[in-house]
Amino acid sequence: MCGIAGVASFQIIDDRLYDGVRHLEYRGYDSCGVAYLNHDHIEIRKDIGTVDEVNSKENIRNLDSFVGIAHTRWATHGRVTRENAHPHPSCHGEFVVVHNGIIGNYKEIRHELTNLGHHFTSVTDTEVIAHLIEEQYARVGDVELAWVSALRALRGSYALAMLSIHDRDRIYCARHESPLIIGVGSDSNYVGSDFNAFIDYTKDTVILDDGEYGMIARDSYSVKSLESGDVVEKSITTVPWDPELAGKGGYPHFMLKEIHEQPQAVRTALHISEDEIKTVSDMIAGARRVYLVGVGTTYYVALYGQYILAEIADLDVSAMSSDEFRHLDKSDRDSLVLAISQSGETYDTVMSLRHAKERGAKTAAIVNVVGSSIARLVDHVILQGSGPEVCVVSTKAALVQMILLARLAIELGVRCGKVSAVQQREYEAALTSLPEQIQNVLNEKSGLLRAAASRHKEVGNWIFLGRGIYYPIALEAALKMKEVTYVHAEGMSGGFLKHGTLSLVDENFYTLVLVPPQATGELHSMTMSSVEEVKARGGPVLGLTFGGDEELYDERVALLPVHPLIAPFLPLVGAQLLAYFTATALKRNVDKPRSLAKSVTVA
Amino acid sequence: MKALILTGGAGRNLVPFSPTRPKAMTVVAGGSLLRRQLTQLREAGVTDITVVLGQNGEKIRHAFTDGHDLEVNLTYVEQGQPRGIVDSILTARSRFNPGEYFLLVYGDIITSGNPFFQVLQSFNAFKGPIASVYLPGPPTGRYGNVYLSGTRITKIVEKPSGSDLGNYVLSGMFVLPAEIFSVMEKVGGEMEKVFDHLVGANGLNASIWEEGWIDVECPWDILAANRMVMDTWSEAQISSQANIEGNVTFRGPVRVAGDSTIKSGAVLVGPCYVGPGCYVGNNTLVRNYASLGARSIIGYGVELKNCVLFGNSDVGRLSFVGDSVLGENVDLGSGTMTINENMDRSSVRVDLRGESVDSGLDKLGAFIGDDVKIGASHTIAAGTIIAAGSVVPHRVTLGSGGGDA
Repeated sequence: MCGIAGVASFQIIDDRLYDGVRHLEYRGYDSCGVAYLNHDHIEIRKDIGTVDEVNSKENIRNLDSFVGIAHTRWATHGRVTRENAHPHPSCHGEFVVVHNGIIGNYKEIRHELTNLGHHFTSVTDTEVIAHLIEEQYARVGDVELAWVSALRALRGSYALAMLSIHDRDRIYCARHESPLIIGVGSDSNYVGSDFNAFIDYTKDTVILDDGEYGMIARDSYSVKSLESGDVVEKSITTVPWDPELAGKGGYPHFMLKEIHEQPQAVRTALHISEDEIKTVSDMIAGARRVYLVGVGTTYYVALYGQYILAEIADLDVSAMSSDEFRHLDKSDRDSLVLAISQSGETYDTVMSLRHAKERGAKTAAIVNVVGSSIARLVDHVILQGSGPEVCVVSTKAALVQMILLARLAIELGVRCGKVSAVQQREYEAALTSLPEQIQNVLNEKSGLLRAAASRHKEVGNWIFLGRGIYYPIALEAALKMKEVTYVHAEGMSGGFLKHGTLSLVDENFYTLVLVPPQATGELHSMTMSSVEEVKARGGPVLGLTFGGDEELYDERVALLPVHPLIAPFLPLVGAQLLAYFTATALKRNVDKPRSLAKSVTVA
Repeated sequence: MKALILTGGAGRNLVPFSPTRPKAMTVVAGGSLLRRQLTQLREAGVTDITVVLGQNGEKIRHAFTDGHDLEVNLTYVEQGQPRGIVDSILTARSRFNPGEYFLLVYGDIITSGNPFFQVLQSFNAFKGPIASVYLPGPPTGRYGNVYLSGTRITKIVEKPSGSDLGNYVLSGMFVLPAEIFSVMEKVGGEMEKVFDHLVGANGLNASIWEEGWIDVECPWDILAANRMVMDTWSEAQISSQANIEGNVTFRGPVRVAGDSTIKSGAVLVGPCYVGPGCYVGNNTLVRNYASLGARSIIGYGVELKNCVLFGNSDVGRLSFVGDSVLGENVDLGSGTMTINENMDRSSVRVDLRGESVDSGLDKLGAFIGDDVKIGASHTIAAGTIIAAGSVVPHRVTLGSGGGDA
């Protein structure tokens, strides 16, 4: 996974490519580079490191040119070295390419080109594209024809942008199974992996579809079909988000910003029209078999969906991790696959949807990013409208996805008669109060959670315990802890703990319990019996509780009692803060944890 | 952007130092709070700085003059009699033009890392009034609880009750429009009312400061601030201009300034600081978090640990100074022992202006004011405060003593 940015302009590029790749760093950040037209040749500046590190070595910030492309890399083929960093030139530097995706047949192409005398400087799949275009150009003498015939030879996934010395005013771009969009400005046109690449400069975008390629000049752009060569008429989509929001504002990290944005994100989600909810409810009700798919955090969201649909709507649906879905997929024409993805580009989830579509299944999705692959792939999409989520660790997007699943469950519960009109109003009132309840946790518990985080930052092993619907919440909470702090945390259901894992518990093995309100009766008492089991082995127990049983916890943070429907979200927010403050106490790279990237668009 | 630093606060709890120096002239890790703030402001590109002076303000004028040493442009305004923060801000009114925003900084705060980049970044994002906020470790009732919605401040609860409440507090750094002066005149005396006015107009945005922050209010806060700064040191810095004899041991992030002398047999364990012109005698042990201000003299066989010497002090041979703070021009006779814990390991209490206050610290020594002279052979109880200018004769157990004290 990588990020692409490009600009063709009447004004000099100056810092626009630098800004672009910096905003795309969430897509990967192990190396980066730029290529731009410098009089009679294409100049390349690249190195390993974050955008700022590369800038300090190579100065990619003040480019005195009118056409250029840039790239931030997350390695798939070839190690993190300067040679393997993009952009990649052809033998004579006449064609320079940046690429996101994986070329499946690059070894064959490389072999052929080597036999034809091409010399390769990197081990990437990308470099073969530049040489391939050069080879084709030598035969046909036209950049666009060479570009098209090169693209037709590629197998695999790609988003591409290219500069050529033989067509100096244009950037060529193309997409197949990796995202790419064009930004339309007043005196400049842009290309990028997503709108963050040019968010400071324009909100008007044209979204490329698979099998399309584009050409951008400073005063025009065009999109054509790779297969037919015909011009494709594309409409302009205006990105509704305010570029201001893409900055950190008054926050030290995007993660904290996004945690604090949750009340507003929930409000927005509650305003998503009833029709949207009804349409997807119709699809769920009309299907004989329903799969909820996501991966990582969104798998836990799906698992939450499985619980809430069972609890409120008496529905039996299967939550599945999308990376494993194809092995278990028994969908057919009477099935629905409901996918959950923040970016809408998650490779495994895209593949799950394709797999199910091939089997004839209907598809739907809850997605945050407008115009993303999944949003356009499915029969119906609910756009969650949570605003850009920049921190690699998902917080607000995941919470809102759960809220939308709860809304679906209420609607379906009403339909099946399990939810009375009175209950429906009660549920809706509870959801309406949620933003304020979350705000309360943020405003009155942050200090306590930060104190707990700094006391326990050296703890090496955590179990996060939850039962019933608190189980997927515990899994999600533990994932937050793991990914941002690099501390081992395992989400587990209370009953499961007894069957093996309990042997790990001793005085150094900490347990965080997500305790349901006492009003939940059996769920609460069963959770407390798990607490007793841990205490009996000498394990320290921290409780995120709604009050009661004070003496059982070594430490606790008491939350205000709320309606059981929304109660699970408060300890989730508490656990997000605990993970965040632990990470800052440990001086972790909060917004860009090692080894992770925001949207995983590779297998 | 211009900045306004307030140094006129009386600092009544910061005994025994506040009667002889402004709080901003409290020294930690080799530099005063004000020096640190001025340096950080300059790093953030703020060089036009007005300082409001109160009691003992001439010490600030004397130390910084027009600011050229720190490459800033300093202007001073006299507050006269201290009449609170609002009054103090209003004295500088003529320094700012209508429509202009300025950075307001309380002179008694210290941070690890430079907070002004973040504050200015927040201002650039919001283009409106900004209050920097900080989340203290364990919640205390010492500061008002700031309620947020996003980063908009929705209310400030002055006296949060109960230990279950804990959130961000105002951290003493603000960006305010010059129009605030007329608001101040209108709502009158207290800063709280000014903030309430801004909050009521939906006009105050928080900038969240995540790194260390200390408001130096009680004498033991000096030790915490010193530790906070030294904890950011990761490597030793020994000046090539220092005169270091053979058989001296440095371990960890030790900082030694130029023109200082370290005699044979000394052991320095970092983080610790030896300022310019210091003399560290033979066989001394300077342990972690010891900070020796400029021109301090440490006699033979002295042990120092977690202590701050503001500067120009003399610790006589075979003394121990631990968990303590010495003002400027302090003379400790040979064989001075600070006791730094209670026998029963209970936390040490300190008498602040006639009231016994629990410091919450198991280890705490003495706080010795500027210009104190203590004769030889004294043992000082944990938590003792010795007023500035005190003179204590030698403690002699034999003979009538012909020497002076």
